[in-house]
Amino acid sequence: MGGKRDRIPTSMNDRAPSSRSEATLLIDGTPPSWRAYWRELRAFHEVTRMLIRRDLIVRFRQTYFGLAWLLFKPLMLMAVMSFAFGYLAGFESNNAIPYPLISFCGVIPWYFFSNAVPDGMNSLVGHLHIIQKTYFPRAIIPIAAVAVDAAEFLVAWLLFALGCLWFGYLPSWQIVFFPLFCLQLLLLCTAIGLLLSVLNVRFRDIGNLVPFLLTIGFFLTPAGYTLARIPAQWQAVYALNPLVGIIEGLRWSLLRGMDGFPLLPVIFSLATTLSMALGAAQHFLAAEADLVDRA
Amino acid sequence: MSKIVIEIEGLGKRYSLSHRQRPDSLKTWLRSLARRTAAGDSRHSSDEDFWALKDLSLQVRQGECLALVGKNGSGKSTLLKILSRITPPSQGRALISGRVASLLEVGTGFHPDLTGRENIFLNGAMLGCPEREIRRRLDAIVDFSGVDRFLDTPVKHYSSGMYVRLAYSVAAHVDADILIIDEVLAVGDAEFQKKCLSHLTNALASGKSAIVVSHNIPVIKSVSSHVAWLREGRLSEIGAVESDVLQRYTA
Repeated sequence: MGGKRDRIPTSMNDRAPSSRSEATLLIDGTPPSWRAYWRELRAFHEVTRMLIRRDLIVRFRQTYFGLAWLLFKPLMLMAVMSFAFGYLAGFESNNAIPYPLISFCGVIPWYFFSNAVPDGMNSLVGHLHIIQKTYFPRAIIPIAAVAVDAAEFLVAWLLFALGCLWFGYLPSWQIVFFPLFCLQLLLLCTAIGLLLSVLNVRFRDIGNLVPFLLTIGFFLTPAGYTLARIPAQWQAVYALNPLVGIIEGLRWSLLRGMDGFPLLPVIFSLATTLSMALGAAQHFLAAEADLVDRA
Repeated sequence: MSKIVIEIEGLGKRYSLSHRQRPDSLKTWLRSLARRTAAGDSRHSSDEDFWALKDLSLQVRQGECLALVGKNGSGKSTLLKILSRITPPSQGRALISGRVASLLEVGTGFHPDLTGRENIFLNGAMLGCPEREIRRRLDAIVDFSGVDRFLDTPVKHYSSGMYVRLAYSVAAHVDADILIIDEVLAVGDAEFQKKCLSHLTNALASGKSAIVVSHNIPVIKSVSSHVAWLREGRLSEIGAVESDVLQRYTA
């Protein structure tokens, strides 16, 4: 610097690499590789933690009941579900398992999904003011949004444990598979959240469509009832909904005496989850760079 | 000569004007897609292009402070946004050595419901400063901002002066090698501004570098070592702050 008017810079090759001691950042508008992006996510992991903490603090600050909301909500859901499906609609349990426990295994994952998807979807649009003024890997925003709901989801299982005590019910060894199904649900929600968050920046139509789809989805998901209620010839089609495999898998892992392992739904669901995760990651990486210009 | 910390080569940023009337609904997007397909042309050819920045090359060496001057819309902010990785360049490239802290706005990411203390950590993380480092500098940050009595009050109850003072203090204390600053030196009262300027001068003296955008000529004269004049997205003139670039710009 110091010259006049459009001076030609020294060519990059003229300088010994040792003249750049720290890592040099190249900005040329090309999307990063998966590996480079992963490194960035790790470098900024504190932002992820801070955003999760911020959302949890803000969610419960200035509330009278504070953290008790974490248990109120699933408790009320389970009570209403047991009333509506167990009592009114008469979906009795087909075996010795108390109905509230069966519905809990469906309602809690559904509740997480139906919160995490819109929260993930709205996260980037809601943080545009930040995205336009500072840099960190944008995927952090939808990931943190989903993680906040995931924290509530995990706490809700405490209530399930209490329910088991109440009904004097002991899960079997299959409970070791419980974390795997939880992880799969987390992956599914994150994938959908990532995908919808970037789409929502460009097309605000998504914001109208998704809540509507979720309303429909509730009835096509075995939250208040079980897969066994679906006629046998329709079960394969029904299981195309990835939540079917996850919820039935959770029930199988926690409730003794459910009808065998739901192999087909679980395979369908795994395939859907993994392909969505790959597709979402790919799309996000490609769309992230000029996100601000499209907002 | 000290080493080059920012090297910009042929940098350009293109916006297509039709994109600016952005497709905010699926319908308009599908319609424009259909039109493009029917016309058989590619994505950009039918759009009228607008270059916010064009063929810009310059270098910043360690310890230098480059001030960007120019009219509104001359590309100053676009350049800062590209260097801050907020928007990608359409052509050319920039190489940056060292940790960057961008201050395009004071208090980015401050949340009104969080306390001053909580916001310090959140904002610090966004500026790339680890929590443990912030913890170590907490006293200095609080001291600099002068909001110590209100540290555990949600910032929504702060006066606007306290808010910007705290926000600037965080930014001033993250240990970056390169500062990218957009007009934020004009925050707070005269006393605080003086504090900010002397802080920046000290940082530069200790080997940090900066690119600043400012319309305030006395500020430019007091902090920067070089001046670049941008006109319609192009570098018009660049020179030492003592040279006559500033004179011609203000003429």
